[in-house]
Amino acid sequence: MTATLAEPENAFLEDITETVASLARQWAKNCPKQIALREKDFGIWQEYTWEKTWDLILDAAHALLALNIQPGDRVSIQSEDRPEWVILDLAAVAVRGVTVGLYPTNPTTEVEYLLTDCGSAVHFAEDQEQVDRVLDIDQTLLPKLTHILYTEPRGVVSYDDGRLLYWEDFLEIGRTHRQDNNGAVEKRMSEAQGDDVMTLVYTSGTTGPPKGAMLTNDNVGFALTRLTGENGLRGKRKPTSDDLVLTYLPLCHVAERIFSTWHLVSCGLTLNFAESIDTVQLNLREIQPTIFFAVPRIWERMHASVLIKGNDATLFKRILLKIGLKLASIIGKEKVSNNGKHTIKSWVLNLIGYPIIFRSLLERIGLRRCWHAGSGAAPISSEILEFFMGIGVPVYELYGMTENSAVATTNRPGRLKLGTVGEPYEDIGFRIDEETGEIQTKHPGVFLGYWNKPERTAEAFTEDGWLRTGDVGEWVDGTHVRIVDRMKDIIITSGGKNISPSEIENSLKASIYVKEAMVIGDQRKFLSALIGIELETVGDWALRKNIPYTTYRDLSEKEEVIELIQSVVNETNEKFARVETIRKFQMIPKELDHEDGELTATQKIKRTAMTDMFSDLVESMYQ
Amino acid sequence: MRGRPNLYTSYSSESRLFPTRTQQVAIGIAFLLLLLMPFDLPVIDQIPLIRFLGDNSWLRVVNRMLIFCIAALGLNILSGLGGQVSLGHAFFMGVGAYTAVLVGGPGSANLWGWGLPIWIWLPASGVVAAVVGILVAPAAVRVRGLYLAITTLGLVFIGLHLSRVFPEIAGPGSLGRKWPKLELRLWKEENPILDFSRDGHWFWFDISDNQKTYYFLLALLTVFALWAANLARTRTGRALAAIRDQDVAAEIMGVPETKYKTIAFAISSCYAGVAGALLASISGQMPPEAWDLILSVEFVAILLIGGMGRVSGALAGTFFVVLSPRFVEEIIEWMTKQAEGDGAFSGLWDSIISLGSGDFGIVSISETALGYPIPYSALDEIIYGALIVIFMLFEPLGLYGIWINVRNYWKGWPFSY
Repeated sequence: MTATLAEPENAFLEDITETVASLARQWAKNCPKQIALREKDFGIWQEYTWEKTWDLILDAAHALLALNIQPGDRVSIQSEDRPEWVILDLAAVAVRGVTVGLYPTNPTTEVEYLLTDCGSAVHFAEDQEQVDRVLDIDQTLLPKLTHILYTEPRGVVSYDDGRLLYWEDFLEIGRTHRQDNNGAVEKRMSEAQGDDVMTLVYTSGTTGPPKGAMLTNDNVGFALTRLTGENGLRGKRKPTSDDLVLTYLPLCHVAERIFSTWHLVSCGLTLNFAESIDTVQLNLREIQPTIFFAVPRIWERMHASVLIKGNDATLFKRILLKIGLKLASIIGKEKVSNNGKHTIKSWVLNLIGYPIIFRSLLERIGLRRCWHAGSGAAPISSEILEFFMGIGVPVYELYGMTENSAVATTNRPGRLKLGTVGEPYEDIGFRIDEETGEIQTKHPGVFLGYWNKPERTAEAFTEDGWLRTGDVGEWVDGTHVRIVDRMKDIIITSGGKNISPSEIENSLKASIYVKEAMVIGDQRKFLSALIGIELETVGDWALRKNIPYTTYRDLSEKEEVIELIQSVVNETNEKFARVETIRKFQMIPKELDHEDGELTATQKIKRTAMTDMFSDLVESMYQ
Repeated sequence: MRGRPNLYTSYSSESRLFPTRTQQVAIGIAFLLLLLMPFDLPVIDQIPLIRFLGDNSWLRVVNRMLIFCIAALGLNILSGLGGQVSLGHAFFMGVGAYTAVLVGGPGSANLWGWGLPIWIWLPASGVVAAVVGILVAPAAVRVRGLYLAITTLGLVFIGLHLSRVFPEIAGPGSLGRKWPKLELRLWKEENPILDFSRDGHWFWFDISDNQKTYYFLLALLTVFALWAANLARTRTGRALAAIRDQDVAAEIMGVPETKYKTIAFAISSCYAGVAGALLASISGQMPPEAWDLILSVEFVAILLIGGMGRVSGALAGTFFVVLSPRFVEEIIEWMTKQAEGDGAFSGLWDSIISLGSGDFGIVSISETALGYPIPYSALDEIIYGALIVIFMLFEPLGLYGIWINVRNYWKGWPFSY
């Protein structure tokens, strides 16, 4: 599949189905001394060579065999990103198990649902917090769950539950098993089939409970050829073992899995695990990754932090930064209008801007060495992309979903079109339904179906077997695709007008003061919005304006803040047609949260939950 | 990883003295300049401030500065790193000096001296001073702050008293005695292998005694500076920093206070002893009164002006304190010439310099006059006092603090934090 590997040693290896585990084994064999993983511990980036990584994977795989994991058994993982995540994931695939990732933020009720739904046999709970969640669940609901692994013993050692097993002890079991049954894992690996389910990726579910999408070895194999191969995400240039990636988004999400684990085994680059989501900025500066993927929220925060820190700088620096940002916006516009390539004008301006501002600015945000950055999982506003293009981070918006292994469209270097999600990959079935405008795909990367939900699986496919993505798209210039909105989110006003709320919401969220925005108007006379402020930036703004405040709610209900948001809304209204303008808005009085059910684990707004929860606010706007 | 200065994959890479390539190159160039400085070289002697080193009278002051650097580094370990205020540094220098003269100086009927070579008397001066430091350390464990300062101040007076009790070591009265010269002999043979105190010929160059001494002292200082810099990043260094920041907390964390304070005193005294021996040796003859409170205070001033706790701070402070009187002297001399002459600005300079009685001016060039106008011989002490006050008020971290501010300005670019 991937041509980057050396020739297999014997025919026996040639025959077997390639899995992420067998790819990892190849790297361990060919480049044992190369660094595969890096994890910050005690202030130092501890390195794992391929040899050591594969050794740990083998130990873990043998341990899974010792714990009697049969082909098709589920191994679930609820943890922050850390080497154990990747090791256990690859070990589970090696013994033909199925990896199920849970978000570290999943509250107990969701953990209960997910674990009972997938029926996992071995569960990895990182620390006391995650262990507590599993132990809170009635044991009779989880009859298959025999072992709960944990790797942070603090607080857990005193627990009295037969299922608990410390990670090091788990590996020790594996080592013993490995001595007694040498080759057992290799034998299991050789039996792997292309249509073996290798992972269940639970989709976040803005409506209804999460559904586990079954991805097979072949799905992933196909995705890797399309994403990291020739004419993949990055055009002609392929990632090599010199590349660095910072792993910081939840690994249970298909995007981070692709950009971390699957890139690791297909390109042999180095994964660097961020300490936590709060230290991403710091870790970025240390690692200076060459390949980077972020969701729009992260790009927005980076952009906002540049502006805020710039405001705090001394006069001379502030003036220079202003000039620099002005240059960046011109360069950004030039590049964007030239398919992402430099024009002579932008090249000259960059020559001026780079030494005085851009170089150090990139160093500060940690993307100085970055040659390819992706944005996906949600729509991003053009202003943000232009800004990053302007300072010299090549950010490409791409599109895909769990159900098609994220293989759909991407913007490629030199062929970028702003506002689109790019072109479909080569040789994949990709069409936009003429009647509904829905995007549909059909290729070997399309998933097997939802776990235990045949009727939902049936709904996901058209009669002729194409995957219904549920996204409405349209062609731009015949080559690029623009996403209009989620099909079910499209608003039909009482006047009968079809409006895509996400465009308006994105325009609102492009302001550094707006964190959440939800446009309402289905079956209503006019559009309104619920808007949540960004505490950090608005707090900073209030500080400068000498506006005292106590809590989030207090701040968002200040008259001055409402005026500020009104000006943001006005700006947005200018960009849209009259029917698409927001007549009224209300401030969301709290910070939205996953645990309270307003957001999905990927921080997307759950519309139905929101309208229920804030129904009085919504109604007040229409009286 | 190349090009990623903040990516540390081991503790040794994190605690490197010169972590980046830029720093390594910069320090290499600086050291090369230091090596070339004492010569009249075509390009270098055009660089202001550096040019003067070709000059012998300046080189004498610079040599003195190098010795002071060693002593300042010693006090920096005790006060800057360990946080123990000491006014007894001059005493330890004295101990080193008299050890040197006892071991290496010529003996006679009423003077003790064994006439041993430098490779014995120089280490001996350090070791004996260190031993005396260890004896004093227990007092430091019991008292701290101001009380420790007063206790160590007592050492200076004990030293003066001892010099009178043992004229066989210290020499008669306030005359002092002759110290062994800086010359390397294997044993007591007639001709030294290396003689730093006489003009000579090295390789293809004629080299003066001061130039030779400069190289000898520069080599010694490099060794001592590296030792000091390395000490700060060892277990001992971290223990001392912990004691400095909060001794009770350090003790609770398991840092044995007595042990590390003793170590700090020993090392600090060792530096002082060696520096004392060298200072006496290049001075030739010194009275016991030279090792008095003023000398101790001078080192405290060096640390305050330079910046506590840093090798670079101690070096910068010494450079400033030892050389500034000479600079002031030069400037006054130049101003006087201007005032006496009839250049365009002679009136301006004349209003500053008082050329004789009755002439208006702030600074008097008369050596004997006291009070106002200020005699220029007292000027450097006044400047230096004013500087201490200014630094204490506005930049408690000293010259090092100024450097940190400048560095952070560029490090934070294009932001302020």
